[in-house]
Amino acid sequence: MSTPMSTHAVHPVHSSEPLLSVRDLRVTFGRRGEQPFKAVDGISFDVRPGQTVGLVGESGCGKSVTSLAIMGLLPTRGNTVEGSAVFDGEDLLRLSPGQMRDRRGREIAMIFQDPLSSLNPVVQIGRQVTEVMERHQGLSRKEAMPKAAELLERVGIPDPKARLVNYPHQLSGGMRQRALIAMALACKPRLLIADEPTTALDVTIQAQILALLKELVVETGTALVMITHDLGVVAGLCDEVNVLYGGRIVERGDRHTLFSRPRHPYTVGLLNSIPRLDAPRGEALSPIPGSVADNLPWDSACAFAPRCPNALDVCVQQTPEWEGDDVVGLRCFNPMGVSR
Amino acid sequence: MSGSTGLDPAHDTRTGAPGEVLVEVSGLEVHFPIKRGVVFDRTVGHVRAVDGVDLTIRRGETYGLVGESGCGKSTLGKAILNLEPPTAGSVLFDGVDIASLKGEALRRERKRFQMVFQDPMSSLDPRQTVEALLLEGMRAHGLDTDASATHTRLRELMSAVGLPPSGLKKYPHEFSGGQRQRIGIARALSVGPDLIVADEPVSALDVSIQAQVINLLQDLQEELGLTYLVVAHDLAVVRHISDRIGVMYLGGLVEESEAGELYDVPLHPYTRALMSAVPVPDPEVEDSREQILLTGDLPSPANPPTGCRFHTRCPWRQETLCDTERPQLRVVDVAGSSPGHRVACHWAEEIARGEIERHEVAPETTDESSWGAPRDDGSPFLAPDGPPVP
Amino acid sequence: MTPTPELPPERTTYAERRSQRIDALASASAAEEGGVSLIKSAWRRLRRNPVFLVGLAITVAFIALALVAPWLAPWDPAARPLLDDVRPQSNPVPGPEAGHPLGADDKGRDLLSRLLVGSQQTLLVGVLATFFGLLGGLVLGTLAGAVGGWIDSLVMRIVDVMLSIPSLLLAFTLAALATRPSQWTLIIAIATVQVPIFARLLRGSMLAQRASDHVLAARSLGVKQRAIVFRHMLPNALGPVIVQATLVLAVAIIDAAALSFLGLGNPDDRRPEWGQMLGKAQPFLGEAPHLAFYPAACIIVVALGFTLMGESLREALDPKTRR
Repeated sequence: MSTPMSTHAVHPVHSSEPLLSVRDLRVTFGRRGEQPFKAVDGISFDVRPGQTVGLVGESGCGKSVTSLAIMGLLPTRGNTVEGSAVFDGEDLLRLSPGQMRDRRGREIAMIFQDPLSSLNPVVQIGRQVTEVMERHQGLSRKEAMPKAAELLERVGIPDPKARLVNYPHQLSGGMRQRALIAMALACKPRLLIADEPTTALDVTIQAQILALLKELVVETGTALVMITHDLGVVAGLCDEVNVLYGGRIVERGDRHTLFSRPRHPYTVGLLNSIPRLDAPRGEALSPIPGSVADNLPWDSACAFAPRCPNALDVCVQQTPEWEGDDVVGLRCFNPMGVSR
Repeated sequence: MSGSTGLDPAHDTRTGAPGEVLVEVSGLEVHFPIKRGVVFDRTVGHVRAVDGVDLTIRRGETYGLVGESGCGKSTLGKAILNLEPPTAGSVLFDGVDIASLKGEALRRERKRFQMVFQDPMSSLDPRQTVEALLLEGMRAHGLDTDASATHTRLRELMSAVGLPPSGLKKYPHEFSGGQRQRIGIARALSVGPDLIVADEPVSALDVSIQAQVINLLQDLQEELGLTYLVVAHDLAVVRHISDRIGVMYLGGLVEESEAGELYDVPLHPYTRALMSAVPVPDPEVEDSREQILLTGDLPSPANPPTGCRFHTRCPWRQETLCDTERPQLRVVDVAGSSPGHRVACHWAEEIARGEIERHEVAPETTDESSWGAPRDDGSPFLAPDGPPVP
Repeated sequence: MTPTPELPPERTTYAERRSQRIDALASASAAEEGGVSLIKSAWRRLRRNPVFLVGLAITVAFIALALVAPWLAPWDPAARPLLDDVRPQSNPVPGPEAGHPLGADDKGRDLLSRLLVGSQQTLLVGVLATFFGLLGGLVLGTLAGAVGGWIDSLVMRIVDVMLSIPSLLLAFTLAALATRPSQWTLIIAIATVQVPIFARLLRGSMLAQRASDHVLAARSLGVKQRAIVFRHMLPNALGPVIVQATLVLAVAIIDAAALSFLGLGNPDDRRPEWGQMLGKAQPFLGEAPHLAFYPAACIIVVALGFTLMGESLREALDPKTRR
């Protein structure tokens, strides 16, 4: 049906081997006495060194659960995680909790949405940054402190030496997020996972943080997985964009292709339902009808079919298969024509 | 009687015509005392959440109030409805000063101005059915005298916001987020208001649902001739829904303009920075545009900077005048700027003509003492930020 | 669920879109019946909770026993069927024998009958003490939380003073002040001790409600202050207070037993009560420990029943456990 849009795909960064290769990741939440819920329903993607990969979707699409599963941070009780997440030749999902703890912070680091609850409120910022270095690099606190000050300066915190002895509540939201990024960078991780890092921040502060992340990726060659609901954030930051719906990836492409020629009706729907600051005024928004409560199970249909303007009979009878590869792809029986 | 008129356009039953001034806010201030003390509270300072705002809202228009967290926009919205009693100033609503009303007189007047809240879950009493929630306001204003008319009106309200009548018997937690916001809107409509203040009406909703609610608000305005004051942090949403926009910074309006013109000809440095920070879902735009990255965070509203509130972060700040004198909103003579466009900046013309260059804002040198111990005002520490990242 | 592919993405007239919206929503919710209130859904969760069921079973069993005790008890608890001249003085406490499965107390009264009938007094004291404590707490808490200002300050200072005295000591003092101790002394003493706890709890939860969005919404709607307090604030603030009341029932029963044990309750031992029985059993702890064991066990099991119920109620009403 639809052929992958490989013709206009130029990917300089894709020459190297993937650093992280997620294959058919499935996460099922099984609460006692309730129907098991498939939060992630077979997600595959690659992240290469120096590449920024975006996972975009609305609440409940499985984007955050994906990152937590890769980091081994999901509570083990009642959850099943299947598939593989090969990082540097090792399947992270098969590592023991101890081995995983050793990777976290050193090789893979994570930044969360709420910087205040991610920092320990009763420990000084400096201690929290050096702790990571002491643990993973075997430095003494004396050795680590100057490095911590350097890191704080690097992420744009003015007067870093004075700031080392501050507690998290003494910093503003933007500063806290910078401190968290400094902690994440402390051991020069090869993979950084950012889960809605700017959602809790004001738009002018968000611009500062995004600029910082962009710069860090170029400078350190860290691979970045950016998880967000904001298509605007993705457009400026990510090399490759994955659009998630109901626990599966429904469309993938490099950002230029995806935003100029979106093919999945959900991607198009998302783009048409948000007002753009630079669009002519007075143009009505076209919302996606219904809500995620209308979703169908992926086993026998397209989950998005009940809300889809392009839905055909086949959409509610069969599961649309992934057509494409690890660079571009689509999961749809009746994609939109080149529109917008 | 209005119980039986259903959802007639508001201006049919009122005296005013579209276009005339409905709300006139002048010199509005809301100061929150900062209290200290073990046994007896004493006031040790004030948070100036709203610090002298003048604005007018015309009948039938949508006025958008935009700004970042802590700028006082939500407090201003509540103060206009006297849900947060103003410290000073007046709010003339159709000739009546709401700010000076109290008790029963204020309560009676409330049917003419309503509010839609950000979080549709917490703003609906979880113990009441939708029917009880919608009836409550009508009952409080004596609009429920005729049982069959009330019955009809409840159904009309539900259909006006796109909910099935069967939903009347349900409880808020049985609805999705978008549907709950529809209930909140129906509740506001239940008493037949002229003005609706919507405080971040879509920011708690999923992206695909936001558009549904925005369209609903616009449709209802069209049908009922409502006047809106929309308070939001999302400039794109505000620009989409509003006829006029006021930009707030640290308790005051810094710029006010027709919505389209604000984007085309932003005059205040803060508006420019805000606009340039909003991400656009278009890689070509993202790659090519010039960002004005602000340095630092919002200063504490308990201890606002002297002179222009924005001077500590402004890339166009000029020596002394900006630090000493607080600029007032004024109409400026700049190409593309209409007479309704007001800005509170000493140098708006010079900046627009490019006579003043943008410069780097050095991070403020902070002395040890201001970081070592809490300041007297007890405000959370707000640190200046680093230099703009190149 | 059927797909609705006919919904066009382009803008149509308002009326068309509105009817589409209604159709879409109506079809989506056609299958669902009437609403499920929070109480109903909490009850649904409770019904499946084994902890709650055990607590409920214990409580119901004891209440049922107390209700039918006069008919169930084989002997009059005041009668002394086992007191006769035949008994040797060396063993004043008769053990179990035919017709008296638990034996008798030191005065030859049937122990089983006394335990059964005693449950009436114990439960009555516990329930009434909690009820009056709750009532007082409700009045003070509502006043402080809804009115605020100097009334709030005044009420809370009184509450603080009362809370600063150890509760059992306060109850002792109050009970000892009574010239003629009776079970009412117990009830009043224990209720008084509970009042500040309920008042403080309710006031805090009323204040949280007062600051909540839905109360602000009601204010902005022009709802009268009294309706806001009694329709919106109080019902939503009651949850933790109800839970506390269930837990206090257990404490009240134990406290009542403690006061009776010390002789501050009903002195007339012809009307038995568990705490009083425990007190009277004290001299015979060596030769007849069962005299103390049975009432003590009853107190513990009843208190456990109420506690289990209270804890599972707390869990069911906790918003964090709601779906």
